[in-house]
Amino acid sequence: MVCSWGGYTFIINLIPMHVLLCIVTGRFSSRLYIAYAPLVVLGTLLAALVPVVGFNAVMTSEHFASFLVFIIIHVVAFVYYIKGILSPKMFKVAVTLVVSVGLAVCCAVIAVLIALVASSPTKGWSGRSLSLLDPTYASKYIPIIASVSEHQPPTWPSYFMDINVLAFLVPAGIIACFLPLSDASSFVVLYIATSVYFSGVMVRLMLVLAPAACITSGIALSQAFDVFTGSIKFQLTGASSNTEVDAAETSSSTAESQTDAVKTEKPEETAKNRPSRKSKKKEREHGEKPSTEAKAEKKRLLALPLESSVISLLLLVLLGAFYVVHCVWAAAEAYSAPSIVLTSRSHDGLHVFDDFREAYAWLRHNTDVDDKVASWWDYGYQTTAMANRTVIVDNNTWNNTHIATVGTAMSSPERAAWEIFHSLDVKYVLVVFGGLVGYPSDDINKFLWMVRIGGGVFPHIKEPDYLRDGQYRIDSQATPTMLNCLMYKLSYYRFVETDGKGFDRVRQTEIGKKYFKLTHFEEAFTTHHWMVRIYKLKPPKNRIRGKTKKSKSKTSSTTSSPKRSGTKKKNPWQ
Amino acid sequence: MEAPIRAREALGFILFSLLFSICRSSSLNHLLISNAERRIDLSSHIVKVYLTLKVENAGSTPTSEVLLSFPPTQADHLATVEALVTKGKRKKTTLVRLDVKATELPDAPNDAKYFTIYLANPLKSGESTTIEVLYLLTHSQEPFPAEIAQSESQLVYYRDSALILSPYHIKQQTTFIKTPSTKVESFTRVEPSNRAGTEIKYGPYEDHPPYSFSPILIHFENNSPFAVVEELVREVEISHWGNLQVTEQYTLVHAGARHKGVFSRVDYQSRPTLNGASSLRYLLARLPPRVHSVYYRDEIGNISSSHLRTDSRKSELEIEPRYPLFGGWKATFVIGYGLPLQDFLFETSDDRRYLNFTFGCPLLETVVDKLTVKVVLPEGSKDPSAVVPFPVEQHLETKYSYLDVVGRTVVVMEKKNLVPAHNSHFQVYYTFKPIFMLAEPLMLASAFFLFFVACVAYLHIDLSIRK
Repeated sequence: MVCSWGGYTFIINLIPMHVLLCIVTGRFSSRLYIAYAPLVVLGTLLAALVPVVGFNAVMTSEHFASFLVFIIIHVVAFVYYIKGILSPKMFKVAVTLVVSVGLAVCCAVIAVLIALVASSPTKGWSGRSLSLLDPTYASKYIPIIASVSEHQPPTWPSYFMDINVLAFLVPAGIIACFLPLSDASSFVVLYIATSVYFSGVMVRLMLVLAPAACITSGIALSQAFDVFTGSIKFQLTGASSNTEVDAAETSSSTAESQTDAVKTEKPEETAKNRPSRKSKKKEREHGEKPSTEAKAEKKRLLALPLESSVISLLLLVLLGAFYVVHCVWAAAEAYSAPSIVLTSRSHDGLHVFDDFREAYAWLRHNTDVDDKVASWWDYGYQTTAMANRTVIVDNNTWNNTHIATVGTAMSSPERAAWEIFHSLDVKYVLVVFGGLVGYPSDDINKFLWMVRIGGGVFPHIKEPDYLRDGQYRIDSQATPTMLNCLMYKLSYYRFVETDGKGFDRVRQTEIGKKYFKLTHFEEAFTTHHWMVRIYKLKPPKNRIRGKTKKSKSKTSSTTSSPKRSGTKKKNPWQ
Repeated sequence: MEAPIRAREALGFILFSLLFSICRSSSLNHLLISNAERRIDLSSHIVKVYLTLKVENAGSTPTSEVLLSFPPTQADHLATVEALVTKGKRKKTTLVRLDVKATELPDAPNDAKYFTIYLANPLKSGESTTIEVLYLLTHSQEPFPAEIAQSESQLVYYRDSALILSPYHIKQQTTFIKTPSTKVESFTRVEPSNRAGTEIKYGPYEDHPPYSFSPILIHFENNSPFAVVEELVREVEISHWGNLQVTEQYTLVHAGARHKGVFSRVDYQSRPTLNGASSLRYLLARLPPRVHSVYYRDEIGNISSSHLRTDSRKSELEIEPRYPLFGGWKATFVIGYGLPLQDFLFETSDDRRYLNFTFGCPLLETVVDKLTVKVVLPEGSKDPSAVVPFPVEQHLETKYSYLDVVGRTVVVMEKKNLVPAHNSHFQVYYTFKPIFMLAEPLMLASAFFLFFVACVAYLHIDLSIRK
């Protein structure tokens, strides 16, 4: 888990919470201790072996809860042990002694800990975790986390899209968990409650919600089946002696009861095979037997009429079937389409937009191996993997300043941007532009985040400079800062020549500044549908010479080509 | 007594060898070329030269060897040399292919390289015959300027000699050079020479002694894309279950004038004839008929821009690289396809099998700098031997695929500097017992069988110590 995803912090906080809950509700047992103590020790050691985590496994506040509970469970275990040894009177004396001394020590330790934790600005929590605890935190302080679409809070339709029927079954499952509240079901309740909260804060934590929702709705379904089949069984055994029932119904219900019988037999068989589990099973059976007897009595009271229970069974099965159909559809349509190859259906068949791979293949084969490519960080991993080139920032967003530097460059005027990129040893700048074919998630739409993230670190970039009356626009009403920034220029360079007007199909407007020239960048490659545009930084020497030329005379510009070739060799006159 | 005899013998031997060498060199001088016509076709980046020689034996001894000579710069770029002779008279003429072999002569002036044409019938004294020679040159057009912008057209230099380089005396000769368009910047004048349309004519020149040379330089426009495959690895895998799987790995480069500066998509899309005229937009691969499961991909996945047209005689695969290739731009890709085995695998009378397959690159108008053909024979085949109509480097390798125990024998053939004319058939002979086909299915079946037997045994044997 630690190797794959940073979301492991959820689990290492959830388990201590459960343990704490068990202790508080007086459910402490040696089993709990045996399960938890090795988990913390081994889990922390193993997590520390993962390079990304390393000493974070003991340093950051996310892991603090597990250690705290680790201490508490030891104390509690010790107390129980003492309680077993000493007589009740002696125990009381010991408790008073230990509590008075222990409290003093604890206070001191806690004070030190709090002082330590409070000394760090984020209180030892990483930005992402803090934004989970306080949903408004990210938008206030770290725009880089808020900028990611999957870090936004989800909408209600997305809940129904993702978990569909389960949204209704989950509450029923929670109720079913409470009916007899055991250790396990309390964990499930805790799991679903926390995951619902977290998924409400970030869309992508829907991943955490999904298994919890599946488990609880599974419990709900099994309870419902239990009730319905039980009542059918009861009605049939009652009815067979009294009245005649339709043959079809009896056959179906007997089949069901048979399957039930098979199900109940199975655990017994496994219990025979594995003696270690046998004792547990026995315990449970002993525990359950009185409850089942009680249930049987209840059933007699709560038995539903035969027809309604059969119909509702069928409905439940139908519901499940529809849910499966929905899941297959959602997996195929929403989650399987690669975002790198886009397709559109038109009257003359399927049209493929393979522009991303076109650009990456071009970078891979036609640039130097050591060339560095700057782009917004969304395309970092893709460029690294597909184009095999070094990137300045990538999807591993750990270095906020670095991303802010690129954001600043993109939102600066050309010359300042050139200087930033040159200082980063960048050779090519890659921008994604959807204005020609109407691809909405392009860099112009992401641009405000670049301004915000850049402005967060470099205060001379101010968001209001890019907004006209609080509105983000790129048409003739746009601010001059916006129309002169690098991102605008790289996206719309010579765009007006395609249709004569410069109509942007994503923003549905004509662009503000149509005819302009690039002085510090040159177009290196543009893909077939203009979705990816790659620009090359002009070399500095040439630029300076161009300047001096301009001041002297214009005629020298015609003879620039042989001179340019001369600049490749360093100092040909020496 | 003995010593002088020995000395005399030695002297005699030296004399004899001297005489022999004189005879040999004089045999060169026996021949003369009464009329020579050369047509150089420069319309694509592969230079095709058709040479018609009327050879006359002016000596007294019959000879069956005719020498062709090339300057060393041309010899390096020479892809193939073919010689044909016309037989029969008037209407019943048939062309007969003659053997051509590279030969080394010790006294070659200026390191000239030689090819010997072996005539079918020795040429008696006083007789004459007409030989048609075709040779192809690659990498012989040098782009100048070496770097061009997107809107410029590609200009190239072609260097040759106005006079045919020959070890024989040539009585009369003419050279015609065909350029791809009427745009010729300049050409060296060697009187009498003139230009009309797309043709430049040098000659006729009369009575030139052996090894006459007169360098010429033609600077002209050639906008055909210089498609060069730097390295091509073709792997042909034989499966006796009925399939022949071919995988071809290409490293393609546009070897024309290097692209300089900006690439503007708007210019390229709005004015395709003026902009990037020499760019490589698509390639055509001619595949065998009945081809199936064709794929065209590169390191980062399928390339969606390809079309396959099949009919009963041939299949044509039109592929577009991910981006148009300008001068100096590169692309790598893989083409793979399956073929029915019965079209290519045959049995000889002595119970051997042989694969009959084309050697060269299926792309049209493409030069291949280095070609490696690997024929992967099925596991258990023995005594492989390859028959290729031209000299290649050969060696054997072993390849391990799924469930292989001893490995598959791979016949590897390597050749440099190939042109589409090399697309002739080659044969790989080997012996193979059909029983080996069943080895892998039997292995799998027995493995599963043993697994199940083990399961059954485990369930039926009581391993517990306590009863």
